[in-house]
Amino acid sequence: MTAIVRRSGGNPTNAPDGGLCLALSDMGSSEATLSSAIRTETTFTVNGRRVQMELDPRESLLDVLRERLGLTGTKKGCDHGQCGACTVHLDGRRIVSCLTPAVQVNGQAVTTIEGVAAPDGTLHPLQEAFIDNDALQCGYCTPGQVMSGLACIAEGHAGDDDEIREYLSGNLCRCGAYAGILAAVRETARRTDSRVGEG
Amino acid sequence: MNAPTRRVDAHDKVTGTVRYGADLTSPNLAHAVFAVSTVGKGRVVNIDTAAAEAVPGVLMVLTRVDASELGSPGFVMGGGYGFQSLQPLLDDRIAYRGQPIALVVADTLIAATEAANLVRADYEVEPIAVGLDAEAAETLVQQEAIPLPFLADIVMGDADAAFAESPVRIEATYDLPQQHQVPMELIGGVVGWRGETLVVHEGTQNAGALRGGLARQLGLDPARIEIISPYTGGGFGQKNSLQPHVGPLALAARRLGRPIKFVMPRTQTFHQASFRPASRHRVRLGADETGRLLAAVHEVDQQTSRHDLFPAIYTEITSRLYGIEHFRGRQRLIRTDVQTPGFMRAPFEHPAAFAFESAVDEVAYALGQDPVALRLANDADVDPVTGQPFSSRHLAECLRRGADMFGWAGRTPEPGSMRGADGTQVGWGVASGAYPASVAPAVARLSAAADGKVTVGVDGHEMGQGIRTAIVRLVSEDLSIAAEDVIVYVGDTRVAPQHLTAGSWGTATALQAVHAALRDLRKRLDVADSDPVDVEAAVAATGQAAVDVEATTVAPGQPPEIIEQSRAGLVAFAGPVYPGFTAFSFIAHFAEVRIEPTTRRIRVPRVVSVVDCGRVASPVTAVSQVRGAVVWGIGGALRERSEVDPRYGGFANATMEEYPIPVNADIGEVEVGFVDEPDPLLNPVGVKGLGEVSMVGVAAAIANAVFHATGRRHRRLPIRIEDVL
Repeated sequence: MTAIVRRSGGNPTNAPDGGLCLALSDMGSSEATLSSAIRTETTFTVNGRRVQMELDPRESLLDVLRERLGLTGTKKGCDHGQCGACTVHLDGRRIVSCLTPAVQVNGQAVTTIEGVAAPDGTLHPLQEAFIDNDALQCGYCTPGQVMSGLACIAEGHAGDDDEIREYLSGNLCRCGAYAGILAAVRETARRTDSRVGEG
Repeated sequence: MNAPTRRVDAHDKVTGTVRYGADLTSPNLAHAVFAVSTVGKGRVVNIDTAAAEAVPGVLMVLTRVDASELGSPGFVMGGGYGFQSLQPLLDDRIAYRGQPIALVVADTLIAATEAANLVRADYEVEPIAVGLDAEAAETLVQQEAIPLPFLADIVMGDADAAFAESPVRIEATYDLPQQHQVPMELIGGVVGWRGETLVVHEGTQNAGALRGGLARQLGLDPARIEIISPYTGGGFGQKNSLQPHVGPLALAARRLGRPIKFVMPRTQTFHQASFRPASRHRVRLGADETGRLLAAVHEVDQQTSRHDLFPAIYTEITSRLYGIEHFRGRQRLIRTDVQTPGFMRAPFEHPAAFAFESAVDEVAYALGQDPVALRLANDADVDPVTGQPFSSRHLAECLRRGADMFGWAGRTPEPGSMRGADGTQVGWGVASGAYPASVAPAVARLSAAADGKVTVGVDGHEMGQGIRTAIVRLVSEDLSIAAEDVIVYVGDTRVAPQHLTAGSWGTATALQAVHAALRDLRKRLDVADSDPVDVEAAVAATGQAAVDVEATTVAPGQPPEIIEQSRAGLVAFAGPVYPGFTAFSFIAHFAEVRIEPTTRRIRVPRVVSVVDCGRVASPVTAVSQVRGAVVWGIGGALRERSEVDPRYGGFANATMEEYPIPVNADIGEVEVGFVDEPDPLLNPVGVKGLGEVSMVGVAAAIANAVFHATGRRHRRLPIRIEDVL
């Protein structure tokens, strides 16, 4: 990985619709160099597939997934980390990909909604439960809800309804499918638990 | 039964394989971003794009478009196509904060964003009016400003005299704020040219208006425009017309010879698209000592923009919720310096029902009567406005069944009388709602193929309400074929005109057309009108590869030629008053609120909603529709207000963090019931509307519950912690 990273990762203003550019233009002389060809070689895996790319350090993981890798299942709802539609897993942990500079995932494993079902197309039990409980309407927030639901269960935060609601409240659903989402995560968590018990 | 019991597109949605407008990617896409006005009103006197143009990768910075290249789309409620008539970039005028002043197109989104932020403008600033009370706002009497019959004041009897003589009188003013629809899918998509044909991929509720409006704006033959919108990631009214970004993108794409992707930043969706206008309601209700409502006066002031008159249609339901003999409505429009406000779920009915149903609750308390009993006693036998029968009206059944499901009988009537062990104040409230049952003209094309599959192309847009599921159910039930054998195309101008899907007429409209086409298909297949059909065998017997039929349907009383208005992309719906009957959907909501003793946080642990929407076309998606609408009602009652600053205009909380839509933890149990009685008059399928009526009255039920919990009446939404301290 080349070392030209102008801003440290995780800066919450690093949103491609204005935050970073405004912040840098406030710094005056940096304007001229912003778009010079700073490229950082980045290697990571997406859904098990190795990806190696030259990235502009300002590119978010979300935009790289969608615009460069064609993985459009991950959605942009706000680009500010406020809605959860862009939730993916990074080394098994849920993150909002819009606030994650793509260069920062170097050496790490990204899982998107496209990587949740089995390669033969068999759905994950949580995806099945989303269908069974009609946990969606327009479907736009759904990939993020599924990724957060998986993480919520894996984190051990699906103990009761209130806990599930709390730990899924970073994922907004304007259609208001919350009751179905809750039911889907609850059902899947119980199934997972009973499997562990049987184990 | 072959009909699907689950949402037919759910699989594709949980796997992320559904393609929304902006999901199109191709190596030669260019990316667009708008620079926007930082002042609330005035004139651009100088604009400097040099720095923006110098950004590597920038292809174009467009600050002005000639009117000969791009005209006004016209206002969707004024015989046009746009959410507003004002088309940015045509002149130097700034009508509202956030109005686009330049379009930047670049090879990458990063470059376009950076360049847009480098566009610098100098303005001549003018004073602004942002709210109903602003000094510079201009007040218009609607029926004088827009002399159309359906916008005239509704007047029955002599309401003022009857009110003055009523032994029990309630008079109060209710305030509702500006709000934003905030669909999860950002506005935008991909605009490009295939030879001489303009192709637009964008999530919309009105592909017909995009085509008709772009044809008007660009001087194109509509046959040379394709709008492809199979899935919309939520609309809620904000995507119900042509947005002003599309025309400039079409011009830019033609000049560059490249398709352009545009995804409107969330903050800009608060300023470059419609919103629910602020409204103020003065309600007077007169009753006798038995609780009989004698007179109602409902006067409304509603915000509009300087450049368009967004009509106010609040009294359409309040004149009909009850059998009140004397009614007087008055609606005024207040011009302010904003983009044109528009439709947001239950656009008029949610505010109107909050005001009116709060006032009805006040009458019940003034008389010491049970709020459910008072409503039942005032039910209407016929449409009080026209004297016609309702096509169907089961509001009383909604109230009775809802009261049972909720356990209303266990309520103690005195405010403040129900408390939790920890001092939590508990309140139970009720409210009714209604929503006009409109219908639009539609074209349905069915193709039965030799492999047994039936392909449907029909007017309608899938915004999440489940229209695709309802269509598949109708076809698979009718022919007794598997759901998997029904393929549905909606939101696509290549298969049907794609009239606006809004106003809760979408499902009734599409199903009526598909139902008619199914009758034709059976004739062409030479099969009986109702038995199961072996499509494969029936098609084979015709000796053709496929049998195609096309049916056009219109609303009751509409002339057949109204379809031409729809083909032109113009709004062409009818209702709720039809020849011989009046059609509305009805609902009753019961809400429990709990106000925590220390934090004073207001929670809504449970809601019961019982709906009369005619026949339930698709049970699974219908329940979700109602639950979602209750979530909207909770947001409207307790959370959502678009904050304005009188000094600067625009909206101050234009992010998803600061515009607080409900989250999962805000929502408790929502129990849904359906009367499920087919409407006998509106259409052969028996379906009325559902998506909007489901929100009407939720906020009133919650506010009434807050009163029951605390003894304090709240007449301004949202009700927040600071209001119940």
